[in-house]
Amino acid sequence: MIQFEGVTKTYQSGKQEIHALNGIDLTVETGEIFGVIGFSGAGKSSLIRTVNLLERPTTGRVKIHGKDISTFTSKEIRTTRKDIGMIFQHFNLLNSKTVFHNVAMPLILAKTPKNKIKDQVKNLLDFVGLADQAEKYPDQLSGGQKQRIGIARALATNPSVLLCDEATSALDPQTTQSILDLLRKINREYSITILLITHEMGVIREICDKVAVLEAGKVIEQGTVFDVFTNPQQPTTQRFVRSVMNDELPETLLQQIQNAGSDHSIYRIQFTGTSVGRPLISQISREFNLDLNVLFGNITELQGTPYGNLIVEFIGDRPEIDRALSAIRKSDATVEEVTNYAS
Amino acid sequence: MLVNNEQILEALWETVYMTGVSFAFSLLIGFPLGILLVVTRRGHLLQNEAIFKVLNVIINIFRSVPFIILMVAIIPLTRLIVGTSIGTSAAIVPLVFYAGPYIARLIENSLLEVDKGVIEAAQAMGASPGQIIFRFLIPEALSSLVLALTIAIVGLIGASAMAGAIGGGGLGDLAITYGYQRFDTLVMVLTVAILVVLVQGVQSLGNILSKRVRRS
Repeated sequence: MIQFEGVTKTYQSGKQEIHALNGIDLTVETGEIFGVIGFSGAGKSSLIRTVNLLERPTTGRVKIHGKDISTFTSKEIRTTRKDIGMIFQHFNLLNSKTVFHNVAMPLILAKTPKNKIKDQVKNLLDFVGLADQAEKYPDQLSGGQKQRIGIARALATNPSVLLCDEATSALDPQTTQSILDLLRKINREYSITILLITHEMGVIREICDKVAVLEAGKVIEQGTVFDVFTNPQQPTTQRFVRSVMNDELPETLLQQIQNAGSDHSIYRIQFTGTSVGRPLISQISREFNLDLNVLFGNITELQGTPYGNLIVEFIGDRPEIDRALSAIRKSDATVEEVTNYAS
Repeated sequence: MLVNNEQILEALWETVYMTGVSFAFSLLIGFPLGILLVVTRRGHLLQNEAIFKVLNVIINIFRSVPFIILMVAIIPLTRLIVGTSIGTSAAIVPLVFYAGPYIARLIENSLLEVDKGVIEAAQAMGASPGQIIFRFLIPEALSSLVLALTIAIVGLIGASAMAGAIGGGGLGDLAITYGYQRFDTLVMVLTVAILVVLVQGVQSLGNILSKRVRRS
C-alpha cells in the first residue's frame, strides 16, 4: 500500500518557486493497478518519484506499507528501493552491457551468488519473452523489447511495488498493447501493486483499476476507472475521457437535425452491465409508438464491465416521449437530454 | 647529420618514458578529480557545492598557466620531489601538473555525457553512490573515456617535447639543440616525422580500444 499525505514539492528555479505538487492525498491499495493521468507539467513525474525518493517531498509524507519513508536513512532508503521496481519512458538501460547483464544488475548490486543470478535472469527473460536475446545489446533491440528488459530488470529483486513512468509513451500502439498485457500479467501473477503515470487515457482504460487526474499539482478527480469514465466531473477529466471515448456527433448530421425543425428531442442513454444485452431501443420504440433514430452508438468494456453509450433522437408525441424516458430510467440505464450537441 | 641512430633511439625512449610515466601519474590524480567534478555538482550523486567550486577554480588555474611557464614556476617543487630540476625525471613533475587537471576535465566531460536516466535507474534499483560510479557511470562512459585519454596522451607527447627546454631530453630536445640551434634540417625533419608516427600510432590504438570497450 502506498499513501500520499499532503505531499507537496517545490522547486527553486532562480528566484522563482515552482510548485510541482500542491498537497497530494492518495491511497494506492495493495494489489491494484493505479493510474495517474495529467497533461505534461501537471506534476505526474514528481509524484511518482516521491515514492522511491528520487524526489524528496518538500512537505507531507509518503508511506509505503504503512512506513513513512522520508524518515529513513540512506541505507534504509536503498533497501526500500529494492522492494520498489521502476520502469521508464526511455528504458534507461546500460548500452554497454548485454541484455543478460542489464537484467542481472540489481542482483549483482545485491551481491547474489553467480549461479543463482544465472537461473533468475533466465527465468525473468523467459517471463518477458526474450529468452533468446540474452547475449544481445540494447541498441540491437526494438523499443518494445527494450521495455521488456526494463520490466525484467525491475522484477529482478522481487519487488512488491512497480512504478511505471510513462512506460508506453515512446512505443507504437501495437507495442503499447503488448506491454500493457505484460503489466497486467505481472499484476495478476505476482500480485504486485502497480502505480503508473501517463498522459494517455487509453492506457488507463486498458489496465487500471483506479485513476486519479492530476492538474497543476493537485488531484482534481479520482475514483474507479468505471466511475470516472462513465461520469467524469471536471472539464479536464472530460477532455481525457473524450480523447478515447469519442461521442461527438458529426457536423453534417447536426446540421440535418437543426434544419429539420426546432422540435427535436435528443437524449444520451448510458447503460451498463446486463442492460447492455437488452434490445432496449426496439422495445421502447414498440411500446410507446415512437420512432427512434440512433445518431451515435458505442459499446466498450471498462474493467471487464460492458458499457454502452447511445445518442438517440426521439420522434413522436411529447407525452409518449416522457413516458418512454421514465421507463428507461426505471431500468438500470441513465438518460440525459443532449442540449449541446457537440458535447 | 650531427646525431647518430643511437642518439635518436635514446631520445625516442626518453619521450616515451616521460609521456608514459607522467600519463600514469596524471591519470592517478586526474581520474578521481574528474569523478569528483561530476558527482559533487548540483543535483548529482554527492552534491557538495564547496568541493565542486574549490576543485573547479584550482583546475582552471593550472589549466590557464602555459606549460612552458608552469615548468619554470614549479622548479622548487620539482627539486623537492625528484632532487633535481634538470633531466627526464625532473620533466615528469611539471608534465603531471599540466596533464592531471587536463585529464580531470576530460574525464568530467566524458562522464557528463552519460544519460541522466541511467543514473536515475541505478538509484531506483537501490545502488549506492560507489556502485553507481563504478557499475554504471564508468562502464557507460568507457568508450568515450578511452578517446579522451588518447587526447591526453597526444597532448603529453607534445608537452614532453617542450620539456627539452629544461634539459628534459627526448625528441623535442634533439630537434631544438641539433635541428634548430645547429641548423641540422635533417634532424629536425626526422624528429618531427617520428613524432607524427608516434601520435598517429597512439590515436589509432585509442580508436581501436575505444571501439572494443564500447560493449563489454
